[in-house]
Amino acid sequence: MEFLLPIVAWVLVWAAGVALVAALPYPRGSFTAPGRIAWLVGTGYFVGAFLVTVWMRMLSLAGVPLGRGSVGMPLLMLAAAGAWRIRRRADPSFAIAWREAFDALRARHLDKAPRALWFAMLAWLALRSLPLFLEVATRPLYPWDAWMQWATKAHVWFELKAWVPFVSTNAWLAAKGALYTDAAPTYPSTVPLWQVWSSLALGRYDDVLMNLPWWIASVAFTIAIFGALRRLEFGPLAALVGTWVVVSLPLADVHVALAGYADLPMAAYFTLAALATLTWIRTRNLGDAILALLLASACPFIKTPGVVWVCTLLPAVIVALLPRRGIWIVATGLALGIVTLVVLAQSSPVILNYVLHLDFAPAWGALVESFFMLGNWNLLWYGVIGAAILAGPRLAWPSVAPLTMIIAAGVLFLAVVFTFTNAQIWVETQTTINRAVLHLAPLSAVWMLVAFRAWATRNDTAAAAT
Amino acid sequence: MLAGIALVLAFMVALAAYLVTVVPGAWFPNATARSWKAADLTVATGTGVLDGNTLVVAAGTTPNTVVVSLNTDLRSSEFPAIAWDVQGVPDNAAVQMLWKSDIGGSRTNQIPVTVELGRLRPVVLVNHPAWLGRVQGIALAIRAPLSAPLRFEGVSADPMGAPQILAARLRDWLAFEPFSGASINTISGGVDGQDLPLPPLVALAVTLATLSLWGLHRMRPRFYACSVATTLAGLFAFAWFALDARWIANVAEETRSTLAQYGGKSTRDKHLAAEDGTLYAFVEKALTAMPAAPARIFVAADTPYSRGRAAYHLYPHNVWFDPTQGLLPRQDWLQAGDWLLVYQLRGIQYDAGKKLLRWDNGAPVSADLKLFESGAALFQIH
Repeated sequence: MEFLLPIVAWVLVWAAGVALVAALPYPRGSFTAPGRIAWLVGTGYFVGAFLVTVWMRMLSLAGVPLGRGSVGMPLLMLAAAGAWRIRRRADPSFAIAWREAFDALRARHLDKAPRALWFAMLAWLALRSLPLFLEVATRPLYPWDAWMQWATKAHVWFELKAWVPFVSTNAWLAAKGALYTDAAPTYPSTVPLWQVWSSLALGRYDDVLMNLPWWIASVAFTIAIFGALRRLEFGPLAALVGTWVVVSLPLADVHVALAGYADLPMAAYFTLAALATLTWIRTRNLGDAILALLLASACPFIKTPGVVWVCTLLPAVIVALLPRRGIWIVATGLALGIVTLVVLAQSSPVILNYVLHLDFAPAWGALVESFFMLGNWNLLWYGVIGAAILAGPRLAWPSVAPLTMIIAAGVLFLAVVFTFTNAQIWVETQTTINRAVLHLAPLSAVWMLVAFRAWATRNDTAAAAT
Repeated sequence: MLAGIALVLAFMVALAAYLVTVVPGAWFPNATARSWKAADLTVATGTGVLDGNTLVVAAGTTPNTVVVSLNTDLRSSEFPAIAWDVQGVPDNAAVQMLWKSDIGGSRTNQIPVTVELGRLRPVVLVNHPAWLGRVQGIALAIRAPLSAPLRFEGVSADPMGAPQILAARLRDWLAFEPFSGASINTISGGVDGQDLPLPPLVALAVTLATLSLWGLHRMRPRFYACSVATTLAGLFAFAWFALDARWIANVAEETRSTLAQYGGKSTRDKHLAAEDGTLYAFVEKALTAMPAAPARIFVAADTPYSRGRAAYHLYPHNVWFDPTQGLLPRQDWLQAGDWLLVYQLRGIQYDAGKKLLRWDNGAPVSADLKLFESGAALFQIH
């Protein structure tokens, strides 16, 4: 039952995160909106998981050793303070929303057949999660980069009880043993700090059980996506089926089972940051804005490309703030970006002695194989393309356009990286391409659902009218 | 219900269209497939050893061309395809299949073989002018610089009828795909290099079924009342579930294997049971020879995997290793008290009498040998 220790540690992180998100300045009565509690619970985990690493960094900078008490007690206090603030706010909608959430879980409002499907879907989600848990809880750290450049840091920080820096070979040699190095010393610390917190809870470095936060994150992500889809006005059953589609991408499952990489956390934080941004665009309340900022600010601390992923959220904000001209501004910006790439691919201008040139050399065959032939994505990219074609101009509807802009910016980012840079070799060898695409894949799945609904609603309305 | 039937029918139509394009001769031939094991093969050029059910042609001991042959007695008209089960073929290898028949006399015929993801595509000979009479012998010639051994599992002659092809595709789709080092990057969805991957076939079936039911809805709305949007959503979800169920069955099989390998073991025993168990055991001994406080240690090994794994097991000692090029540390980097762990690496010389360590033709370094096992050593620098 040793595995319960890191689980308890992460439940504490989760509780603190939920309490913190619930304590954000939301308008009174706002908790009863459909999916609100699921969204709160799901995003709460990710907020807590990011903030616990921020706290661990601060402890180390202050010279306080990392330990169960120094990390766990503030989490407990944060959870208590959040609960106290919620209670003090005396918002009756909070308690009502929880009751309604449990009623929804029991599918009380659904008819017989949809109810059966609801429980079948829940059972399937639970069933498909079980082998992933057993893998995480049984297999020692397995995938390459996990032991080459992530857990190396976790092991050192756990043993030293301090967040010591990792540096390049030259700096390491100059430090004469005072600093550490590994295969990727500049990588962000968040993911290894998760492993440190698990190990602190266990009382020893254990490269099996320290990876439990990946599985817990997959559960929290599932709950958050359900909440997000409900908030996007999908019905309960449609939201549950949609959630299953979003979270059942085979490559994402592999990143849970073979835990230790930062790509799945990157995908989760980026997806939730985007959905939180969309929520803020609709509600314009301060609580949603703070949540979106918290999730977005975590992205660069998960993986270095997180900076670019955060930038892809800006088009949505522009479209939302400037409803009339925003879409044209963003579309013009994207078009200019594409034209610039084309020009740089066709010429080699020299500016300030720098030769600006990009080689356009996409590995089309490997891309098609990766997206459409192999088992990485189930039917995701067929669905995305199909939904985009069907939705057509509806992709620019105010309810769809912000998400469309994020996806367009994300696709442009990936296209630039994998067709204009030397990263194209990773496409040919089927290595980093899929991991990079994984960052955008869950959000693409959400967009597919939203775009399809935009088409289906219009189509069904037209059919009913005739 | 009707939508489900339509999807199954559409899937079968798509499959039938595929069969039309790939069945080379009769759809239902009388012949049954024949297969030969690795033990039946002969290495005509190169050096190979039988390892269980695998004929292993080692990389370092072979010339550029490897020829493996097999005596047969096949009626060419009954077996239009030959499949060589070989692993580890470099993608840039020039591969030819050779054969002799009773009609061609002493003449040796040949046809190029396609390499895909380290394996060979089946050789289809149905329209080849020299695939005549009784085939008395076949051979495979592989010309390539070999960095890894070739592993011959066997050969099969296939009548290539519709049932055989369907069975082969089913095997492709339902084959267990164990987790490997590459799984974190890509998943094949069955065996590698499939002739007909399942996702495009399923997507085509969804499209066909949706279009059919849409047409039915337009013409006979009373017979089929669902809108095209509902139909497409339902079929897409059903198809997604089919692929998801296949995938989760694969994950469950993987978990069964993981539990068999690691279940009930301590963390230490799990490491000993892992792929790098031997390396872990050596590092464990090295750790007992080293001080408890973190010390500077340089790691050198022949492969990036061994270097990385040895380094990983050595943390929280202050480890340096070159993850990509496998360089040894420069002599002037070392200082007294540093450690050096060497694992399966050529080119390191140690003079035990003088306690001098030397590599890369550099100046000798004074060091104590603290631990030695076959192919692995731990030194402390003076």
